[in-house]
Amino acid sequence: MNGVTPVLELNDVAVHFGARASLFKPLPSPVRAVDGIDLSVAPGETVGLVGESGCGKSTLSNAIVGLLRPTRGSIRIQGQEIAGANTALLRVVRRNVQMIFQDPALSLNPRATIGSAIAEPLAVHGIARGQALKDRVANLLEQVGLKAEHAARYPHQFSGGQRQRVVIARALALEPALVVCDEPVSALDVSVRAQILNLLVDLQRRMGVSYLFVSHDLAVVRHICDRVAVMYLGRIVELASRDTLFSNPRHYYTRALMASVLEPDPVAQRAKTRSMLSGELPSPSNVPSGCAFHTRCPAATAVCTAERPELTVRPDGALVACHHA
Amino acid sequence: MAGLTVEDLSIDIAGASVVDGVSFSVGGGEVMALVGESGCGKSLTAFALLGLLPDAAEVTQGHILLDGLDLASLSERELRRLRGSKLSIIFQEPTASLDPLATIGSQIAEAYRLHHKVSRREALAKARAMLVSVGIPDPDRRLTQYPFELSGGMCQRVMIAIALICGPDILIADEPTTALDVTIQAQILDLMKQLVAERGTGIVLITHDMGVVADIADRVAVMYAGRIAEIGPVDDIFAQPSHPYTALLLASVPRLDVSPKERLATIDGSVPSPERFGPGCRFNERCPLADGRCRIDTPPLLAHRPGHFSACWHADRVSEIARAAA
Ligand SMILES: Nc1ncnc2c1ncn2[C@@H]1O[C@H](COP(=O)(O)OP(=O)(O)OP(=O)(O)O)[C@@H](O)[C@H]1O
Ligand SMILES: Nc1ncnc2c1ncn2[C@@H]1O[C@H](COP(=O)(O)OP(=O)(O)O)[C@@H](O)[C@H]1O
Ligand code: SF4
Ligand SMILES: [Mg+2]
Ligand SMILES: [Mg+2]
Repeated sequence: MNGVTPVLELNDVAVHFGARASLFKPLPSPVRAVDGIDLSVAPGETVGLVGESGCGKSTLSNAIVGLLRPTRGSIRIQGQEIAGANTALLRVVRRNVQMIFQDPALSLNPRATIGSAIAEPLAVHGIARGQALKDRVANLLEQVGLKAEHAARYPHQFSGGQRQRVVIARALALEPALVVCDEPVSALDVSVRAQILNLLVDLQRRMGVSYLFVSHDLAVVRHICDRVAVMYLGRIVELASRDTLFSNPRHYYTRALMASVLEPDPVAQRAKTRSMLSGELPSPSNVPSGCAFHTRCPAATAVCTAERPELTVRPDGALVACHHA
Repeated sequence: MAGLTVEDLSIDIAGASVVDGVSFSVGGGEVMALVGESGCGKSLTAFALLGLLPDAAEVTQGHILLDGLDLASLSERELRRLRGSKLSIIFQEPTASLDPLATIGSQIAEAYRLHHKVSRREALAKARAMLVSVGIPDPDRRLTQYPFELSGGMCQRVMIAIALICGPDILIADEPTTALDVTIQAQILDLMKQLVAERGTGIVLITHDMGVVADIADRVAVMYAGRIAEIGPVDDIFAQPSHPYTALLLASVPRLDVSPKERLATIDGSVPSPERFGPGCRFNERCPLADGRCRIDTPPLLAHRPGHFSACWHADRVSEIARAAA
């Protein structure tokens, strides 16, 4: 990245969950939820992470913010290794990484005022006290489009969109270099979704924060991301700049995802041919051999069943893991 | 008239008018989409169509006619016979509406036996055929499985199989794809299109997703705060929205022809809860065109083009909003 230290650098990150036999279904092999991810995020950049439910997006996000321990691989935040780091270092490094979850209702304590929710990280890290703390909270509330006097209210007195603003204010309190957003707008109404997306873009312009943006919604990803990684069964199958990915999707899985996006335009939608993806995501405890996508791929041949394709770079810079694309 | 007609339906909950004067119809082979954000009264309208409203809710006026027959004139027994056989519903949450303790096969077969005097074996054979037609591979194994052994997309297909096994004329689908991945959503929408084309089923599809509407609907009713804001043919509504709420909803969705990271159009505030519905147009607090009259008088639904109605005092100025947002 031309000498600029990435805010986030992942090398061969894997998260496996131990095999646990249940009464109904013995699980013979571990769940390989995330299995060898290389990815970096530059300062001020937004990188999207897309893929079907269960492909490992949240697991990877949780590993990045330290909620889960990676099974192998290296996670660097602003150049500092956090996989296996001691608690003191982790505390310092983690200040630079915050997370926003899907459901704002679940990420706020219903019995704490939103002022104290936002003040908490500032107090914990000893950044501000007394009047300075109050001023900082008021300023953060205004940054996210709320009012200073809202600090005394409780979460239930706000709508879903306002609660997500509070969650964003709290995530930004420590001026992190990176915010991992796991489906930050999926639980919101359409009209409110646009308000929050605009806010995230504004804050990035103002503060230079980077986002790792996890979403099911490709239209949202296309709107907000600079680069996009497409995940399938715990691995990245394609990684490219937004324009390259959306104008020239190469992996058959990426193409199928694009074909499934519904444009809010009946004429365009009728003209679109749906390349149907048959079947569903296989279980990550039983990943197919070779290219994990071969069981659903329209172009699969013998080599796809036998050999796993590595990510290789294409002339326009896109990285694609496919024998035939 | 053949098909389902809703006339001036109003529903109150605890004194608040959560659905107010809703009218629409759907004929055979037609998809009518009910769109709007959460809390607009879409699900309550759907429940009312089947006589399945929660106890707290009361129908205060209006009629629901199926092939001209007023459902209010039927006994509970007659209604039960109608549900499933002529009128079926698919609920928002697929896993919650299946019995966790019964096999997939017995649940589909029971739905059939409710309306047909056949043996269990015959019903199971019918269930198997239904699984095949909703695109579930390996039907023999699936028949013997329990809901927890199926993914969300497969549970939704099973729900569709149950809803369709008696060949209803009208299917009411409440957010049938909201919980699913885009890839599976595409499969389910194609399955519903096939039903409409091959069996002439009429569908009332409830959604908040304008992409789903564009993909499958013939006509659209946009609901806001319990009322119909706008109703008309799908191409017309998207090309010439005649209510500010519709225009802003369309403009706030990220789309291909909006440049990345550009500001999206927004609607200030959020949908009010029913006890806060005030007088006049219920959209007035959030509407950029609102004036004094909007805060006092309720705008009537008026035709602007053939079959295209909207309830707005300033419908002729809605194109200004669309232009400002572009
Ligand atoms: N604690 C756990 N123990 C065992 N398996 C797990 C655990 N957490 C996640 N998994 C499995 O790991 C895989 C990836 O899960 P993850 O939550 O990361 O998916 P996701 O991509 O975020 O999906 P969604 O889009 O539904 O949020 C899934 O198969 C999931 O069932
Ligand atoms: N059982 C109930 N008791 C009280 N209020 C309800 C009940 N069901 C729905 N409501 C209220 O009625 C309004 C419309 O609800 P609903 O039809 O579920 O909306 P939608 O499906 O459009 O999201 C909402 O404000 C909701 O909170
Ligand atoms: S009637 Fe008035 S408030 Fe209602 S949508 Fe039209 S302009 Fe806006
Ligand atoms: Mg997730
Ligand atoms: Mg609903």
